[in-house]
Amino acid sequence: MSSTGHADEHHEAAHDHGHGGTGKYWLVFLALCLLTLCSFLTYFEMWHNAIPVNVSRAFMMAVSVSKALLVMCFFMHLIWEANWKWVLTVPAAMMAVFLVCMLIPDIGYRTDYYSSHRWNHTPQPIEPNLHPSGDARPAAQPGH
Amino acid sequence: MSQHHDDHPEHGHIKLEYQPALPIPNGKLCLWLFLSTEIMFFAGLIGAYIVLRFGAPTWPSPHDVHLSEPIGAFNTFVLICSSLSVVLSLEAAKADKAGRAKFWMFVTFVLGLAFLGVKGYEYKEKFAHGIYPAHPHGLLYDKPDVYYASSVKVALEDAAKHCTTQIELVDKSASEIAEAKAEIEEAEEAKDQEAKTKAEEKLAAAQKVNEEAVAMADTYRERREKMELLRDGLVQWNTRAATQNPNPVEGQALMDSIAYTIQHPHEDEEELTRLVEEKGTLATKLAELEQAEEQDPQEIALVKNRLKLIDYLTADDAAILRHGVNHTYDWVDLPFVIPSGNMWASTYFLLTGFHAIHVLVGLIVFAVALPVTLGVSKATFIEAAGLYWHFVDLVWIFLFPILYLF
Repeated sequence: MSSTGHADEHHEAAHDHGHGGTGKYWLVFLALCLLTLCSFLTYFEMWHNAIPVNVSRAFMMAVSVSKALLVMCFFMHLIWEANWKWVLTVPAAMMAVFLVCMLIPDIGYRTDYYSSHRWNHTPQPIEPNLHPSGDARPAAQPGH
Repeated sequence: MSQHHDDHPEHGHIKLEYQPALPIPNGKLCLWLFLSTEIMFFAGLIGAYIVLRFGAPTWPSPHDVHLSEPIGAFNTFVLICSSLSVVLSLEAAKADKAGRAKFWMFVTFVLGLAFLGVKGYEYKEKFAHGIYPAHPHGLLYDKPDVYYASSVKVALEDAAKHCTTQIELVDKSASEIAEAKAEIEEAEEAKDQEAKTKAEEKLAAAQKVNEEAVAMADTYRERREKMELLRDGLVQWNTRAATQNPNPVEGQALMDSIAYTIQHPHEDEEELTRLVEEKGTLATKLAELEQAEEQDPQEIALVKNRLKLIDYLTADDAAILRHGVNHTYDWVDLPFVIPSGNMWASTYFLLTGFHAIHVLVGLIVFAVALPVTLGVSKATFIEAAGLYWHFVDLVWIFLFPILYLF
């Protein structure tokens, strides 16, 4: 038997065991809908007034990671796959995290090294009620 | 490696068989390898967005850039439904139920189209508000500085020029009418029926243009006056005052005032109160300037323009002040300021654009699969297509909160 033939056999065997029926997919779908609803709750004024913004963001990320795990484990069948799944997903995930981390020093902390001249060309929030008055002072900015 | 008991147990040892492959079909293995590169690709993009966003001194809210959270949530729901339908298609194919597999595949295809349709509507909304990933179409500026003031001035002058062109159409079309009438007379004298018909057509066209131009002339005069008033009384006045002011905070406040008057609504009475106070001060200043022995006509004209502008901004219960020029008049699109708006637009269009391209590729795969009988022999193909589609869904699961809710 060819290697591909073996692989197909093993694959079919693996898929015949342990995840028959579509009920679990509907359950996962329901869970995904509920989780989406959870993250959408953060849109409402009531939520904004009650929950600090950083807590809200952490909550949203937790919800997103949960949804991603559900999709990967059940819809992408990773929960039933053999150990080869780690060989492909773990290095890619590590490299993905590494890519993001590499951006932080130069891009994420870019304003830490801005000169005062660079700050002159940096977008700032528009102050609607900041009008010329006698006691106005230039705001102290990093880089000064 | 797998273990197989020997066919001849009398030998009493285990025979081992070497397998030079992973226990999955090659197609599926290749797709997983491709997905691992895609994980890094989107991690780079999403990571870049997060790092840029949290490193920026300010970032626009979804409301500022006309993003609708409910629409984003709806699109998330659409993709989740499509993930379910593609996995149901796979299960049906495995059970050799080709009809059901095709039905769920078709549902997935329709849901993917719906996702792209909603995304297209969202893009249209951004473009309608002058938000593009880059110039020359974009009207978006990051900061109300002299460059912004200059672009507003140019836009106001262009709008005024357009009004002038429309007003001049009255005279232009009138002279064309006279010309056409003269041609008709000439053709009648020469008894040239063809020339007469042509001249009559020309006359009818000129009369139509003239009617429209006359009807709109007053409107265009009024618009031109408003554009010139905004240029002189707002942009030039504030820019001059800002450049002459030694205090950078006060100077910036004057430039901010331009941006606010153009685009942002003043929801409180503070700006109105300030303008009323300024009007009183300027009226006194104007009286002094007019009574001075050596009069400065340029300064007098500037102050008069500013006073006119204040009257214009505070008229009709300060309607323009409350809604902004761009929102009050649909016939003019002036450059506007959203701090960090260009960075937002670049990242938004890049992330959602690449995601939409992936959705499009998925739809092409489904379109190719739909005419085929989706029996058990096609299960591996559907599984590979489904894996790709789930990955597209995974990316959106992260894009939705970071773009719409953060």
